[in-house]
Amino acid sequence: MAWKEGIVLQPYLPLLLMFVLAAGFAVFSVTAAPYIGPRRYNRAKLDAYECGIEPSPQPVVGGGRMPVAYYLTAMLFILFDIEMVFLYPFAVKADDLGLFGLVEIVLFIVSVGFAYAYVWRRGGLDWN
Amino acid sequence: MSSVFVTQAVVDAGPVSMGEQVAFYVLGTGSLIGALGMLFARNAVHSALWLVLTMLNLGVLYMVGQAPFLGFVQIIVYTGAIMMLFLFVLMMVGRESSDSVVEVLRGQRLAAGVIGLGFAGLLVAALVRSLTQVKPIGLAQPNAQGGGNVANVGKLIFTDYLFAFELTSALLITAAIGAMVLAFNEKRRRPAYAKSLQQELVEARFQGNRPSPLPGPGVFATANSVATPALLPDGSVAPESLSEVIESTARERLDPDLLPEPDAHALTAPEQREGES
Amino acid sequence: MISFLAQPGGLDALQAPEIDYWAMAPLLIVLGAACVGVLVEAFLAKPQRWPVQVILTVLTFAFAGLTLGLRLTKDPKGLTTVAGALSIDRPALFLWGTLLALGFGAMLMIADRSVEPGGSFVASAAIRPGTIQDRAQAGQHGMQTEVFPLALFALAGMMTFVAANDLLTMFIALEVMSLPLYLMCGLARRRRLISQEAALKYFLLGAFASAFFLYGLALLYGYAQSVKLADIAEATGGTDRSDTLLYAGFGLLLVGLLFKASVGPFHTWTPDVYQGAPTPVTAFMGACTKVAAFGAILRVLQVAFKASSWEWEYVLWAVAIVSMAIGAILGITQTDVKRMIAYSSIAHAGFLLLGSIALNHDGLSSTLFYLLTYGFTTLAAFGVVSLVRNADGEATHLSQWAGLAKRSPLVAAVFSFLLLALAGIPLTSGFIGKFVVFRAALAEGMGPLVVVALIASAVAAFFYLRVIVLMYFSEPAADGPAVSVPGAFTTAAITLGVVVTLLLGVLPGFALDWAGAAGFVF
Repeated sequence: MAWKEGIVLQPYLPLLLMFVLAAGFAVFSVTAAPYIGPRRYNRAKLDAYECGIEPSPQPVVGGGRMPVAYYLTAMLFILFDIEMVFLYPFAVKADDLGLFGLVEIVLFIVSVGFAYAYVWRRGGLDWN
Repeated sequence: MSSVFVTQAVVDAGPVSMGEQVAFYVLGTGSLIGALGMLFARNAVHSALWLVLTMLNLGVLYMVGQAPFLGFVQIIVYTGAIMMLFLFVLMMVGRESSDSVVEVLRGQRLAAGVIGLGFAGLLVAALVRSLTQVKPIGLAQPNAQGGGNVANVGKLIFTDYLFAFELTSALLITAAIGAMVLAFNEKRRRPAYAKSLQQELVEARFQGNRPSPLPGPGVFATANSVATPALLPDGSVAPESLSEVIESTARERLDPDLLPEPDAHALTAPEQREGES
Repeated sequence: MISFLAQPGGLDALQAPEIDYWAMAPLLIVLGAACVGVLVEAFLAKPQRWPVQVILTVLTFAFAGLTLGLRLTKDPKGLTTVAGALSIDRPALFLWGTLLALGFGAMLMIADRSVEPGGSFVASAAIRPGTIQDRAQAGQHGMQTEVFPLALFALAGMMTFVAANDLLTMFIALEVMSLPLYLMCGLARRRRLISQEAALKYFLLGAFASAFFLYGLALLYGYAQSVKLADIAEATGGTDRSDTLLYAGFGLLLVGLLFKASVGPFHTWTPDVYQGAPTPVTAFMGACTKVAAFGAILRVLQVAFKASSWEWEYVLWAVAIVSMAIGAILGITQTDVKRMIAYSSIAHAGFLLLGSIALNHDGLSSTLFYLLTYGFTTLAAFGVVSLVRNADGEATHLSQWAGLAKRSPLVAAVFSFLLLALAGIPLTSGFIGKFVVFRAALAEGMGPLVVVALIASAVAAFFYLRVIVLMYFSEPAADGPAVSVPGAFTTAAITLGVVVTLLLGVLPGFALDWAGAAGFVF
């Protein structure tokens, strides 16, 4: 019996219900607000609030492009994401893996840490 | 074709529940729609969002296929991290830029399309054919032993595939170095150890012409954006209150019709504006 | 709630896999040195990085070579280690030795700062080509010393690739060797746009080929329920499993491997990337990637798919013929030296494939020997290419090489010798290499293929000879390129290549014995 609905889907049922509830609430709030809220417009209400500036068709800096520095951020995020992916099964099996597993995962973390040290010392984490 | 998969599974791996069938058809259709949407969307950002749909569907499909770890990794790494990288790169290239439609080699698109479809057809036909000879095994039995799916994955990573696992750290290091080398310009910053100290900043401020902070933007009933200048007692604009970024924007680049309505000089008399520039 | 995700495990403490650190020592040293190289980049100030990296590199190769030598003196057959992920047998040790020697030569060229003032690599790759900042940095003498750890990572990937005993390890190794190469291709100091274009093309096509490899791996896993080469071999030995999965998986897997080896119809990246990449990187790719890719092809074919060879043999015959034809015929039309050597490498890949599909002991040893000879010749050839320069950097157009013998008889003589070795003229290593490969192929009954290979060699010899004629019997152009006097590093690399080419041409016995010492262990 490769498949029993009970084994596989049941744990996700609350999760699914939660999603449905959240989606329902979001849709309800957005659609209901214009009908049940009071509507009094003035110009300042439509403005960007204090810290913002007036939106223009082209973003002000760089002609609609984001600076390449964001790429580094995204890449570092992936780095730690992958590290986390390996840490999770290690954590689950840590008892059985014992000292040996600990050594291996520390080796992995340290070697990924080299990359982190490199990015840090070169100033990749400073935000100008 | 999908019915072939399902009926085949019925033969070999026991009965297929209604829930599984429904899940398969919903998720399969969803991922297919996402893939087609990604191909045919004109805007690159829309393409990326269609791809998210495909990835999410696949992730859930993995979970339904009794591989919850793989499913979560698919969602966390692909729809999370990789997709973010995609979008950053798209933004870097420019949201407005679109593919060039000029064909450099004549007939290349047609040939590529025909060959691609032929290859896909061949592969699908081969897979369908091979399914009659392959016995599906499923993960129910292995998942029931050794502490569950994630624990079994952990065991395999740290024993059988230990070397491959440790080697991935080399990949990650290379990725970080690559991102730094190609995307990070060192010239524009001072090294971390030579950062200007608070004391230096204070001295610079007091030895300069303006010990006090710059005046903030003017806030009036008509506008509250930082683009609005502060006014001096005589009604003229305080130049220090204007944001450098806004002032340095090349205004000629913007279409005059689309200029933001209350701009930085809206409250200045025309002759004064000319005098400034 | 999601309890089955993290059920408490039983108290069955796991057995750690056996790891033979001594057998793996050369590989571990290169990997460790690459990590240290990253730390050097992180913590040392700019002026110190280059000398420290050079010293580190030399030490790495010295120690890796030493441990490899010690390993060779004992354990005649070899072993598998880390839960069977790596197979450190005689062919693997031979390929490790070849890779280390070639890698050392290429690293010397990478480190050289005399031929191109400041080195062949850009000072800051993040600056956009053609901008004011880019023109400003053209005068700077620094270089991105990250290429040292990157090259070491690539080398470690290659060493793992040829020793990988399961397809998963092989895939990770493929990526570890490819990613740094993609990066290094785009870091040229001169002609940065063409260099970046080369990197992009290599990356996109390489990612595509990796996808093919991975898809094939998945299908083979479906077939054999294991990624281990030995298990796949066992599964092919007569069962009622689906042959469709086997052949679809095998085909896709092989496309990925043939791409890396730049064989036949999967070669399209080769000329552009060889031309655009900085010449030391081209030398590294041309020599080491070829060795690594064919090492893996040999292992996959001989270990996993030997039993099913009668099914796929003729497909690879066709691939070999296409590769030799493309390399020889398109090579004639080339007007750029680097592109010409690229097409030559495609033709050579066809010859190498000939030896790889001769699934016997001679096929293995002859292909290993051919890889050794080809690697050193190519390394030295690219070394010479980097010396012929004018004000814009390297002068690679053939017309600029006219009459080079009158300007620099030594360089012209060395390059002529290397071209003759590539053509396979007696008294060079190329001749012995071709001879042993063709002999092994004939013994396997591949007569027609050997005839095609001989014709292709003859056609290819034409374009090598054309360059020699051009260098010796044409008048040099008035504004022709000058030949730089190389520094110690490049001189050493070229000398290494030339001496080995000559030595293996005159006294091949030692290397042939070594290559034929024993077969694969799995």
